[in-house]
Amino acid sequence: MVNAVYDHIIAIIVIGAVFVGAVVALPAMSFVNIRAVDQQQLRNVALNVFNAMLLDTGEPVDWGSKDPFYMDDPRVKRFGLASAQDSTFYVLDPDKVQRLVESNPLNYINYSRVRELLGLQGYGFGLRIIPPFNVTKEDETPITPTNSPANITGPNKDILQYAVKVKYLDGRPIPNAASLAIIVYTDGKKFNITGPCSNWTDALGVCRDNIKLEFAPTSWTVILRVSVADVATLIVTFGKTPKIIDINMVGDQIILTKPKDPSNAAVNVTSVYAIGEQNLLWLLYEGQGPPYDKFNTGEGSPFRLWPPPNHPTHPNGIFPGLSSYNPTILIFNLETSIKKDDEWKPGYQEIMVAGPYQNLLGYTVFQYGGSPKGGSASVRLQRSVIISGMTYIVELTLWKESP
Amino acid sequence: MTKSNDVKGQMRIIEVILASFIIVFALSFANILAIVPTSPKYEATELEKLGYNVLHDLDKQGLLPRFVYKEEWGNLTAALRVSLPLDVYFNMTVYDLQGTKINNVTIYYGDPETFTASKNIASVTYGLVGYPIKLNATQYQANYEPRTLILQLTRG
Repeated sequence: MVNAVYDHIIAIIVIGAVFVGAVVALPAMSFVNIRAVDQQQLRNVALNVFNAMLLDTGEPVDWGSKDPFYMDDPRVKRFGLASAQDSTFYVLDPDKVQRLVESNPLNYINYSRVRELLGLQGYGFGLRIIPPFNVTKEDETPITPTNSPANITGPNKDILQYAVKVKYLDGRPIPNAASLAIIVYTDGKKFNITGPCSNWTDALGVCRDNIKLEFAPTSWTVILRVSVADVATLIVTFGKTPKIIDINMVGDQIILTKPKDPSNAAVNVTSVYAIGEQNLLWLLYEGQGPPYDKFNTGEGSPFRLWPPPNHPTHPNGIFPGLSSYNPTILIFNLETSIKKDDEWKPGYQEIMVAGPYQNLLGYTVFQYGGSPKGGSASVRLQRSVIISGMTYIVELTLWKESP
Repeated sequence: MTKSNDVKGQMRIIEVILASFIIVFALSFANILAIVPTSPKYEATELEKLGYNVLHDLDKQGLLPRFVYKEEWGNLTAALRVSLPLDVYFNMTVYDLQGTKINNVTIYYGDPETFTASKNIASVTYGLVGYPIKLNATQYQANYEPRTLILQLTRG
């Protein structure tokens, strides 16, 4: 009788041990599958979010083109970057994308607000826009305002010499990439545009040229359009021009804003040109004389310099048809006077060249949002998209955030 | 009598242990047989979408027919390289209607080892029906000459 009791006790203990062991061991055995399901769930969320971002126009459909646009504008009810003007997939509206640029002087939409609009509470995301290839100096250092691949040479200082290297993102050179250069320059009194001058990269991916100018310039900019297989194009600008203003474009509207360094110059706009996709030049504006050409540095909105709201031909900076022309570059011919010893010195000419979406498109990687914390699982999706007629790669990284 | 009872008790313990092992083994076996969606399968789907998106974009711009019918294989390789992310390797083959391979040079990017070793290779089939021949300034003639493009993608 006593032995039977012991037997049952031992049996109960053994069953208990086996049960506890099973509870501990089995989930561990299926952990790989659980992780796979978890990652799949994350991938599904990422796919839905990515589709919402790239295929949806958002609400209102033109939310990026609203003027004025407020910080985290409450009028934006749904988030999406697709262009409402285009019926094909994966064409993004540059006005909407530039509302993600956190240095946009015309305001932008915050990461936390976008997360809220996308219903991504508990998740984090990062968005990157990657150019399809790289353009650098011949020595493979990046092109910056202080590291230009061009210089002026010749006995009369009227020959422009430049050399750039075109590479795939993995660093291998791209031979036979087509380049078209337009040079905008001034000597302080005269203003001229030379080009387009076409050229090709050699087997090492290097493109170099010497271009004779009409006169020796004091201020100049090279606008170089590099195309690979007619598919992807990058616009690279370099030269010697002072940074007087920032050029912003929203829809058909051009708004000039002041950069961080205030200048002590009085500036008039004498002419404005736009260069389109086919390198066609369009004279957008010819000087109307004071007061309409003068930058507003005192009254009204502190950052808006030109044109004034009461401008006779372009009130509020509207240039009808500008966005459908799809300009890749805007050229401003400016007349500047410098105040020296309490006196305005006679005006001289300067040029200002910038892309309409200068903070966004170009040869640098654009990044928005956060980055996953070490150890947390994340998924990454990529699509090729078209922004302002140019091909880019958009990459979304999504991860779960601990509550 | 006492001896017989002892043996019975030990047998119960052995029975319990055996039964427990059978249960654990059955559960483990069921777990092995369970079909769950694995990420690699979805990775291939993602690559397929990526590949189709790129081919469709090239076709829409009118570049894909030009590259294929004019046999600009170098340009086609460059176009795919700049349109696809850096870590995506590709291998493309172009066939005619009879299934004969058209491209005499490889349209390829990546490490050949990756294609043979990788378990996750996505394959996209894209069809081109023909191309227009310009007769004069206003008239074109459609030339029916189907081509099948097989694009294989994998991550490096």
